[in-house]
Amino acid sequence: MKHVIEIKMGGLEIITSEAEELKTFVGSCVAICLFDLTSHVAGMAHVILPRKSDGKQSTVKNDIGKYADEALSYMIDGMIQKGADPKRIKAKMAGGATIFAHESETSLFSVGPRNTISLRQILKENNIPLVSEDTGENFGRWVRFDLHSGTLTITSNLKKFEKMI
Amino acid sequence: MSANCHDLKKLNSVLDSFIVQKTIPALGSMLGEPMMHSIKKTQEIPITNLDLIISDLEEMNVMSAVYIKCDGDLHMGALLYLPENESKTLASKLLGRPISNELEGITTSSISEIGNILTASIINAISDDTGYKIYSSVPGYAVEFFRTLLEAVVADFGNESDTLIVSHVEFHGPKSGIVIHMLLIQNPSEIKKLMI
Repeated sequence: MKHVIEIKMGGLEIITSEAEELKTFVGSCVAICLFDLTSHVAGMAHVILPRKSDGKQSTVKNDIGKYADEALSYMIDGMIQKGADPKRIKAKMAGGATIFAHESETSLFSVGPRNTISLRQILKENNIPLVSEDTGENFGRWVRFDLHSGTLTITSNLKKFEKMI
Repeated sequence: MSANCHDLKKLNSVLDSFIVQKTIPALGSMLGEPMMHSIKKTQEIPITNLDLIISDLEEMNVMSAVYIKCDGDLHMGALLYLPENESKTLASKLLGRPISNELEGITTSSISEIGNILTASIINAISDDTGYKIYSSVPGYAVEFFRTLLEAVVADFGNESDTLIVSHVEFHGPKSGIVIHMLLIQNPSEIKKLMI
């Protein structure tokens, strides 16, 4: 039985043991996972918003996954400190749904897609390949990352499916 | 910035007066029966711990929900929700015919309209009382588990602070048995604007 580390909204965790599993729930937020399977280091952040507007870094540990730019910066640094090789780090992500539908074309609620676009861009800037993703649509997802296999398992209670990417 | 107990109590009472003034008459007229309400709780919740406002019942049920964002002199979010099956009863009452199939088209529109009217009535009461100019977005509709709805609303709210002030209002039609829930969401730095 693996020790499951549940990541709250805006949270971020890094693991170095294959006995641990990272888990979170996302709707329009995005679960971004970075991993280096050779060094056995992986991180997951629950990203709420694309970019931090004030440029100041968060000081509270449980909030460092909130913004895509800040979360990836923390995660990459933290993983390297724990032995990850930046050249081997890869990414997977899930979430970024558009939960509320509108009769008009006004896209006031597109924070989900904006999150995924921002994350793709930041990954590219950092030369981190995004190897797989399950994003978009209009439903919430439970997301689990297994460090042993590098598998991201996605479950939707509403749509009643489970898939591994 | 965080709110103290006195602020939360005051906000509760101010919101209650707005709801009594405008929302209850509007909802009663729309549903054709006198409506009752109670503000279950006004609390400050850390966005990292939404579980604080997710009850077991809400976790288990798929909800039909409407979300409206208010901007202008006051920034506020309003999430109306009720269990999917009960929303069919509500839509049936509004449309004057039974709803047996999936929630779609005119059925979801009618539920969005309830969200619109509830939110607009609160905005009107606030504007009358304070003179604020407040604009509301088009209603967004969703059918999902409460956790997903709440997560999406909090993300959309785009809050820079680590906490949100959430007021849970329950509307109840004694004749029909209809129960509608509404969460009014504000940034802690905004609530003083309603306490003048």
